[in-house]
Amino acid sequence: MKAAITVLKEQFMNFYLIKRLSLYEMKSKNRNNYLGMVWEVINPSIQVLIYWFVFGTLRNRAPVEVYPGVEVKFFYWLLAGFILWIFFFKSTIDGSKSIYSRLRLLSKMNFPMSIIPNFVIFSHFYVHLLMLGITIIIFQIAGFFINIYYLQLIYFIFATFSFIFAVTLIISTVSTIIRDVHMFLSSTLRMGLYFSGVLWPLAILDRFPSIITDIMMLNPLYYLIEGYRAALFGTEWYFIVNWEYTLYFWAIVIVFFIFGSILHLKFRRHFIDYL
Amino acid sequence: MEKSIIVKNITKKYKLYNGTKERLLDLITPKDYGEDFYALKDVNFEADKGDVVGFIGINGSGKSTLSNIVAGIVPETSGSVQVNGQASLIAVASGLKGDLTGRDNIELKCLMLGLNKKEIKELEPEIIEFSELEKFIDQPVKSYSSGMKSRLGFAISVNVDPDILIIDEALSVGDKAFSEKSLDKMMEFKEMGKTMIFVSHSIGQMKKFCEKILWLEYGMVKEYGPVEEVMPKYEAFLKDFKKMSRKQRLRYKRRALKSQNQKQMS
Repeated sequence: MKAAITVLKEQFMNFYLIKRLSLYEMKSKNRNNYLGMVWEVINPSIQVLIYWFVFGTLRNRAPVEVYPGVEVKFFYWLLAGFILWIFFFKSTIDGSKSIYSRLRLLSKMNFPMSIIPNFVIFSHFYVHLLMLGITIIIFQIAGFFINIYYLQLIYFIFATFSFIFAVTLIISTVSTIIRDVHMFLSSTLRMGLYFSGVLWPLAILDRFPSIITDIMMLNPLYYLIEGYRAALFGTEWYFIVNWEYTLYFWAIVIVFFIFGSILHLKFRRHFIDYL
Repeated sequence: MEKSIIVKNITKKYKLYNGTKERLLDLITPKDYGEDFYALKDVNFEADKGDVVGFIGINGSGKSTLSNIVAGIVPETSGSVQVNGQASLIAVASGLKGDLTGRDNIELKCLMLGLNKKEIKELEPEIIEFSELEKFIDQPVKSYSSGMKSRLGFAISVNVDPDILIIDEALSVGDKAFSEKSLDKMMEFKEMGKTMIFVSHSIGQMKKFCEKILWLEYGMVKEYGPVEEVMPKYEAFLKDFKKMSRKQRLRYKRRALKSQNQKQMS
């Protein structure tokens, strides 16, 4: 518990540092290509088009029922979940190598190392907000207008950020000690796309025993993705209607966060020895 | 006299593994794997405020390890380091990001040293002027020559006004004019009463500059004292050591380690 408070405090005390460093992070990543930061948008856009084409065809362009009686086109349904997924995916992969790849630059006596995964997430967070903005514009054109349920987006953005931070705190520490973890993640995490309800609605599993759907719902990402969809399509107050699920989600985040903080604080002084 | 650096019984142990299998076993099992290698063994020294201490010793004697430990970059295995004030290490490859421009690197480095926005704004022109990079300052650092890189690194570290400055062979790069200028800056620091640690193979620079010398040998302190006392002995040693054959050097090493061990025992 004490470890968690220390880590949280470091985040708030160094907020300016996080802000600046995350900007430099984006800058240095995109300096070498002519289109620069535009790639941060082009890349996910192309991916979403590919998935739309493949899975749209597989499903014979059938619409998806987001709420009893409300059907939306597959493309919009996919888009709403995909922007969240890509934020999670990129932050986690980059986050897992964040500490060991920057250690040489950053190992200074008083540098609060717990902010390293955070500013890496932040650099993806700007892109996420931009993607979300573009998505909202597309939705206006498609006829899903801004409504009162959009307010819960703020909550879900915060929840997403907390979840990603808790996860990267753990894996950035572990992959500094065992470098293979990063390789393992980058080769397996993509699978999560297929199991988080991004590409196909879990309702397809109706024919199977309900336990399978329940297991799939244990994935906290599913909660976030469905929350985004509920907000963007304006169907319901997802986190209130499914309050048990909300409790489960935050329990997971808190457990991850405490565990990650303890792990991080325990090893951080010796990170440099693992290089 | 106020103490600036107090190093007590510092030991730094590295593990030498034969392959990744041993490394993994050592990490997950309680049993000990791998061979211990002591980069530093029971090192003690103190520096008063305003001292200029030079670390000397042949290659692999632990000079850089010790300076890294004092700078707080590498953790010690056992013992304690007490540093009063902020220490800043200048090394040849001093953590510059190749993709970013020199100007961005200045801000980045200053941010990491804990400076705020206003202080950085004030310092930036000074640093750029000192580094003599002129129009190259807006080019990515990866296009710099090694001399330019070390000039930039040096300019940043010197201008952030640290309490304790640790210079690890950083002055050996760069042309004569720049190293002269750097030495002038160091002299300025010396007069201001800042503590400095100087790691170099250049005996001439050391003599000109340092007040105390810490002579390290195979990770242990061979001698610590004023320059006039230690330097002649070191020079005499170097002369002998150069003449030794490989075999003699090995024998010398074994003897040195043994006598140190005995000293520890008693």
